[in-house]
Amino acid sequence: MRRPTIAGVVVVVGVLLLADYLVVNASLGELARLAIDAAILVAAGAGLAAVASLLLRRGGDLWRRRGDPVGAVLVIVGAAAMLIAGLRPGSSGASDPAVGWLLNALVIPISATLFGLLFATTLSAARRSLDGRAGGREASLLVGVAIVSTLLLLPLSGAAGEWMDQASAWAMAVPIGAVFRGLLLGIAIVAATFAARTMLGIGAADE
Amino acid sequence: MSERRALLVRLAPALLLVGLAAAWLLPDPASLRLASTDHAAADGWKAALDALPDEPTVLVGFDPDIGTYPEVRPTVRTALADLLNRNARLVLVSLTPEGRALLVTELARLRRAGANPARLLDLGYLAGSEAALVSIASEPPVPAGSVGEIARRLADEGIGAVDAAVVVGGNDFGPRSWVEQVGPRVEGLPILAIAPTVLLPELQPYVASGQLAALLGTPRDGAAYRSLADLGSLNRLREVSEPPLAALMLGLLIAVAVVGQAWGGRLGAQLRTTGRDGREVG
Repeated sequence: MRRPTIAGVVVVVGVLLLADYLVVNASLGELARLAIDAAILVAAGAGLAAVASLLLRRGGDLWRRRGDPVGAVLVIVGAAAMLIAGLRPGSSGASDPAVGWLLNALVIPISATLFGLLFATTLSAARRSLDGRAGGREASLLVGVAIVSTLLLLPLSGAAGEWMDQASAWAMAVPIGAVFRGLLLGIAIVAATFAARTMLGIGAADE
Repeated sequence: MSERRALLVRLAPALLLVGLAAAWLLPDPASLRLASTDHAAADGWKAALDALPDEPTVLVGFDPDIGTYPEVRPTVRTALADLLNRNARLVLVSLTPEGRALLVTELARLRRAGANPARLLDLGYLAGSEAALVSIASEPPVPAGSVGEIARRLADEGIGAVDAAVVVGGNDFGPRSWVEQVGPRVEGLPILAIAPTVLLPELQPYVASGQLAALLGTPRDGAAYRSLADLGSLNRLREVSEPPLAALMLGLLIAVAVVGQAWGGRLGAQLRTTGRDGREVG
């Protein structure tokens, strides 16, 4: 069964924001601000709900002894440590030194380490893409271009370095830029079409 | 796989770390250079800052992500120091939790290094992504209890008190959203951006169209700007050291060697197969 409520809300809010964007009117501006404030509150609420859901899920896993107990304990202890550091009486919130320490000493180095592993995993994935039957001409082309692009990024000085710098800038601006922008244009067209269909009540946005 | 090869594969990560650590400790040889020889982006950035009024109020949208932040961090730190050295008042805001976490650490670093706290106003984290940007574009939300000239001016004049926006972008949220949401709503507000290379293709057209007043979007452009920036007494706010070029070079060469070996083998196999097929047909 179709539910027109969501489509109706989207149409009303969308038209209101568009009208506010195009017309200078204090009342319209107030209404648009209300809609924007509501959107911000909904987004904040959704963020809180996501965190609560994660904690409940992990807590449930521990309680029922399913899944990965070590991971569940780490998630719950990590969230509790951050919440206590930021919300305990006398804390100055996100700028509290305890929160800063947790971020500087734990969160950022651990996250950076995970990203550092991408060096090894990306190389491994590139090699695997060339193995056996999976390694077709497309994979060879992809990896070949990646090798050339990486070589152009070598931080050499002198005439060779200058040429490589210019070549990498050209590669980024012309072929890579063209592909990226083509993708972005395609995504934008699909998003605009979907938004227009939703606003006009066409299609299955709320089904 | 032979026993010796298996042992080598097992030891490879440790050897990589030892090699990188050794290269990290080496002084950078003169044959290596990170800064781009084309200073157009760095000059554009400096020109955009020079065009600001005296003691400008600059809104800093700080939303890098932890994965790509190391790429832009030295440039971000130099840019913040450059702005403070120009007596700018910085109003800082984050629209992503990761950006907020990184901003908290950068603010703590600035405080430890003795940056003038009267020149900094932290608006905190705003939920809502684009909706929050629309809100900022009219009235940046000054936190309750904020005191000082920046807070007062921002509360009185709203976005009109802001002379420029500097956006530090990441994978989740970046300068494109600022150009789309803030640019059309605040006429004449120059938007300057620092972003990781991955965002360059989507940001370059905004530089060409003038919607971005300046962009530092590659490590080379960032290094060129850092080499040009004169921070005066605030030189202490720079990154402690520049990225170690020998380690960078070694990492890139290892990547090329590891992938190139497999690629060469695959290419050779394909050529052999093509040659054999050709002979059989012949």
